[in-house]
Amino acid sequence: MRAGLFLLLAAGACFAQNGANTKDVTFYSEDVQCHARIFLPKDFSATGKSPAVVLAPGWGETAASIEKYAAHFATQGLVAMTIDYRGWGNSGGYIYLLDNLRYDDRLRFSQHTAKVRIRRKRLLPNDQVLDIRNAISYLQGEPGVDRARIGVWGADMAGGHAIVVAATDARVKCAVAQTPVISGADASKKTTRAPAAAEQQMIKLARTGEAPATPLAAAAMSAEETKLALAEYHPLWHADQIPQSTAVLFVVAANDPKVDNEKNAVAASKKLRGETSVHSIPGATHVLSGKSIETAAGAAADWFVKHL
Amino acid sequence: MLPRTGPLLALVTLATLAPASAQIPTELVERHRADLEKQSKDPDMKRAATLPQDWAYALPDGVTTRQVTFYVDGGAPLYGKLFLPRGFTTAKRLPAVVVGHGINAISIGIEKFASRFADRGMIAMAIDYRSYGFSGSEVSLLEPDTTTDARAVWDKTARVQLKRTDLNNFHEIEDYRAAISFLQGEPGVDPERIGIWGTSNAGSVVIAVAAQDARVKAVVSQVAGPGARPATGPVPIAGPMIDDAIKRARTGQGAEVDGGFSFRTKIDMISGQRNREVRAGSMIDRIPENTKIVSIIAEKDELIPAGGAAESAKAFKGTWQVITLPYMTHFQVYSGVAFEVGSTLAADWFVKYL
Repeated sequence: MRAGLFLLLAAGACFAQNGANTKDVTFYSEDVQCHARIFLPKDFSATGKSPAVVLAPGWGETAASIEKYAAHFATQGLVAMTIDYRGWGNSGGYIYLLDNLRYDDRLRFSQHTAKVRIRRKRLLPNDQVLDIRNAISYLQGEPGVDRARIGVWGADMAGGHAIVVAATDARVKCAVAQTPVISGADASKKTTRAPAAAEQQMIKLARTGEAPATPLAAAAMSAEETKLALAEYHPLWHADQIPQSTAVLFVVAANDPKVDNEKNAVAASKKLRGETSVHSIPGATHVLSGKSIETAAGAAADWFVKHL
Repeated sequence: MLPRTGPLLALVTLATLAPASAQIPTELVERHRADLEKQSKDPDMKRAATLPQDWAYALPDGVTTRQVTFYVDGGAPLYGKLFLPRGFTTAKRLPAVVVGHGINAISIGIEKFASRFADRGMIAMAIDYRSYGFSGSEVSLLEPDTTTDARAVWDKTARVQLKRTDLNNFHEIEDYRAAISFLQGEPGVDPERIGIWGTSNAGSVVIAVAAQDARVKAVVSQVAGPGARPATGPVPIAGPMIDDAIKRARTGQGAEVDGGFSFRTKIDMISGQRNREVRAGSMIDRIPENTKIVSIIAEKDELIPAGGAAESAKAFKGTWQVITLPYMTHFQVYSGVAFEVGSTLAADWFVKYL
């Protein structure tokens, strides 16, 4: 029933962009309606079997920021899907009930009219990882997509997500991490106590952490939540679990002022069992622009075409 | 006259100097072996689930309770029931324990364990996981979400759907951790003396919690066997599970399967796949070595692989005791002598290590 509601939205008209046909779709990620734009190759056929790639935006970015990459991928014969994470861009947000509705475990589903509070612009790495995985599910069901040939692409923090998804989701066959933020190779896996201030935040969230009413309070709470979540997010720990059959390309900016490539991409690459390469773009800085984007998109597309 | 005191003194000295055993005594089990055998053969004690008569208990003299709400994941409300020991006063600081239920169960069924822990002088909180019992539901919109990034928070009236019994071990881990946070801030709780107790499915979840949260000092894992297998790659996903994931991503809801034993409600088919991904047995090397763990298992457990707890204990470098309740099946440990013995040993563990 719910699917029917969104059929009209999901069917979105196709239009040309960089030679690729695109369509906007809605996928569900853990109960949240999420937005994605699918870029189809020119000769795409719904009865064929094309390889496909999910593209995940960087930290605090939206799908719109990475369309250039998707459009290029489509020109190389790949179905490419850019996504908005939960709570960002054209995706829905985190939903909290304000009304005190009754429920009963014996009735699994119930429908109501109710006051809700929707939180947006939270930055939670594990949720973003799930959003990517749910996007993969959507893409696998797309007519004309070969569900056995799925790749994942991510930049910045999402470069780390690409590593996590390749390591934890058996459906991923190929990954590209661009200017990835995945340091911490030497961090001990032994769990230790969080700093006292962080533990105080956890107590505060558990005891008074109702969904905040004002944008100011919401922003403050999101900042606390993100800090706690990032302290426990270690994509590099997953690198050695990526199957040998999964090829992983790292694309880095030679003059990256934000990320130490040796401690991030190169360190991650060394942990891999399968085929891997680090492609450095001369002169580029962390946020790629102009010609560097073309180079990076080209390297990524070549990698997917070769390995998917 | 004096010669006799020499060896005696030496003996006393030896006993004092010897390191106290890391294990707790288990004579209680032996003392009740015959009673346990009797329980196992009692036709009225045959169990393929817990039954309402298993949940009933008499609140020990002086123990009081209080219902509380705590929060997880940015504002989702969870339910807890605090059990406070007799003579409780916030002037003192007591150890505290989170008590969590198994698959498709609710806190009511395990309150009796919390009450026993309070009877032994600690604060205990029985909790319902997200979408179970008295805790909040999974909420989705039945209309398009039109909110935008122009604001970080929006209030509106909308058509919504509530979903219950959404079994999710990743969420259960977060729920335990939120409960720990709540207890740490509760007046009268010593935030440095926190324990967790989990049964059945939650007996593995508590191991994952201990691996991710160093605030946990002592763990009781009842009728569970997380094993010890390092994760070497992604958890395999079978074709039907891929089909279901596609259906979920495209429609918002996948297939359902029968879930649980004590409550026969449905759960999402994907729950099994998702729970397999938690892999508590792969996280044992992450648990701080000063964490004290005991597995209390049922000898004839029909649901949990035999030897799973022993395998975990062997892989752990710190203290991990395994105590077997002889003759017992999975669902017999919630009642009769098995409950008396199992809850007493669990309390012994917390008293010793918190």
